[in-house]
Amino acid sequence: MWRLMVIAMRNLLQHKLRSLLLGGAVAGVTLMLVLMGAVGNGIRTTMLDAGLAMTCGHVNVGGFYKITAGSQPAPVLVEANKLIKDVWEAVPDAVDVIDRSIAFAKIVSESDNLLSGVTGIDPAKEGELARHLHLIEGNLADLAKHPHAILLFKRQAERLQVSVGDDVTLNAPIMRGQNNSLDVRVVAIARDMGLMSIMASFVPKQTVIDLYQLDQNTTGVIQVYLDDPNDAARVEGEARSALLAKGYALLDLQDEPFWTKFEPLAGEDWTGNRLDLTTWEGQMGDMKWALRTFDTVTNTLITILLIIIILGVMNTTWITIRERTREIGTLRAIGMTRPRILAMFLLETLVLSVTTAAFGVLVGIGLTHLLNSLQIPISEGFQLFLMSDTLRMVVLPDSLFMALVVVPGLTTLGALAPALRGARMKPVTAMYHVG
Amino acid sequence: MARRTMSVLVFMSLVIGPVCASALDDAQLKKLLEEIDDRQQNTGDYKSLAYIETKEKGRDDMVLEAVVYRRDKDDNMMILLLNPKSERGKGYLRVDKNLWMYDPSTGQWDRRTERERIAGTDSRRADFDESRLAEEFSAKYVGREKLGKFDVHRVHLVEKPGADVPFPVVEIWVDTASGNILKRQDFAASGKLMRTIYTPKWKTIYSESKKSDVWYPSEIRVYDEVEKDNSTVILLKSVDLRPLEANIFTKAWLESKSR
Repeated sequence: MWRLMVIAMRNLLQHKLRSLLLGGAVAGVTLMLVLMGAVGNGIRTTMLDAGLAMTCGHVNVGGFYKITAGSQPAPVLVEANKLIKDVWEAVPDAVDVIDRSIAFAKIVSESDNLLSGVTGIDPAKEGELARHLHLIEGNLADLAKHPHAILLFKRQAERLQVSVGDDVTLNAPIMRGQNNSLDVRVVAIARDMGLMSIMASFVPKQTVIDLYQLDQNTTGVIQVYLDDPNDAARVEGEARSALLAKGYALLDLQDEPFWTKFEPLAGEDWTGNRLDLTTWEGQMGDMKWALRTFDTVTNTLITILLIIIILGVMNTTWITIRERTREIGTLRAIGMTRPRILAMFLLETLVLSVTTAAFGVLVGIGLTHLLNSLQIPISEGFQLFLMSDTLRMVVLPDSLFMALVVVPGLTTLGALAPALRGARMKPVTAMYHVG
Repeated sequence: MARRTMSVLVFMSLVIGPVCASALDDAQLKKLLEEIDDRQQNTGDYKSLAYIETKEKGRDDMVLEAVVYRRDKDDNMMILLLNPKSERGKGYLRVDKNLWMYDPSTGQWDRRTERERIAGTDSRRADFDESRLAEEFSAKYVGREKLGKFDVHRVHLVEKPGADVPFPVVEIWVDTASGNILKRQDFAASGKLMRTIYTPKWKTIYSESKKSDVWYPSEIRVYDEVEKDNSTVILLKSVDLRPLEANIFTKAWLESKSR
């Protein structure tokens, strides 16, 4: 085997130009694979991390309250303290449980106004949120110091022409068919986070309670965080059974964002509070659609590149075998078996592709680090679903496996047909081959 | 040398002396604010016609006619819009420290805040109300200045915790001779200037309930400092301090007048 390896190495060195071109192509494809994988993983990681910190938990115990059978449901949970305690009991796997209030309001400044989701939080319990928000002005903890305060995103603050210390008015329709207003002070402005910068703002929970004039013992949604997000569906099922056993009224499972349910529920014939259990996958359905689209595009592109490189290797091996037909005849004549001839050519392709793929991977990892350190700003359209204003690339082990094993494996497979043809040649025919 | 030193001392006493003498200490400042409030406060009812002329960039000038009702002992207030036709019947009602806005076209009552622009102008509800500076703000004396030909006290005011005011920081220029506020600037907590208001004309009317004169600004000029081209002029006329109907400060009463 060692001898075959030596022959393969010598042949590669002897045909430097061909080896360089083919190796360059393999390295290029591997590099592309690593970079595109890193971009895809970066998007996935950023979106899921940010989405989970900002919009929902792994399992969400939300719900709706209806005053009358025909009335519009409000995303309100009553007797919140007892419910939070019961959720902790219903989900023994929970790592953390937080609750948030939900509002939707017009934010009015002296210059302009905009519509936004307004999430009531307890800043002291929002470690993950604090980690993902990059504040330009002010401090997240200041939300706790002022009962009527607001954190806006840069895009919102620019449109409203406000800065920290300015007042804006929240105007929201409440359940009794009237609008309620509340003045809030801007205490923090965060860097844009895509869709969140348009759709969301954060206030203390007391602000939502006062805006809607709710009872103190109410909340909007209880978010449960788990060690493993993949357990969400199982935990949701267990929590559903446990809460039903405790006597809570639950809506049928419909794993979709809460805001898609207002209209269907308005026509339902029930009053009071009903819980609505969902998982992070349901709440982040739109984001998953964006991810699937990106993955499809990436996979298609990589498949095309792989097909091109396989055809290139196949073609090069055909040429090699044609050029070395007499060498094959001589080797066969002095006793080399057909499998060893086959192994010799496959080994040559394998050595070339593994070496160049490894080179492509190293360059890819280096470029990823470089691009991450440059904090490259991304276009506004792309920011919308990425929830970040800079490009973030993440190299995961499965991308490296793909690059280091699958690419050399497929290219070697591409050399199989010509190598088999070479190995099957009769020594006499091969030795007298002219060409 | 001694002559020169003496000259400097004389100069200092002439220049700095009056300034130091006229600076108000905390007690005097508190008294000044209480006097401003007291001159404007009326223990009984209040009614006046208000003409509100508003200039807004990119829009035609508009003149609103409204009637303002107040019952100062209960902090109740109502602004009922009479003209133009498009605004007729709309009204603001302040009862129990809540400000409501009524729109007759929808029949809907919405709760508004003190920052609400009255009928979309640069005015706020507080512009039509009596003065409550001592109750709502903490004061700091800035200095004695000249405002045009008037000698004025300039006072910096910051909202007290829990006070419901449209702007958290205010500066006022008070005429030293008459005790009237001639200029006022409203700021956001960030320090951004929001409005400048001039009240050049003040009038008095005798109050039976108070048994003394009540001062009111007959003209209020409001300049929007955020949208620089916007401004509003308020003229208060036909001020009447006779008692109003008992049930006037109710939603039902305003709705009945809107029909």
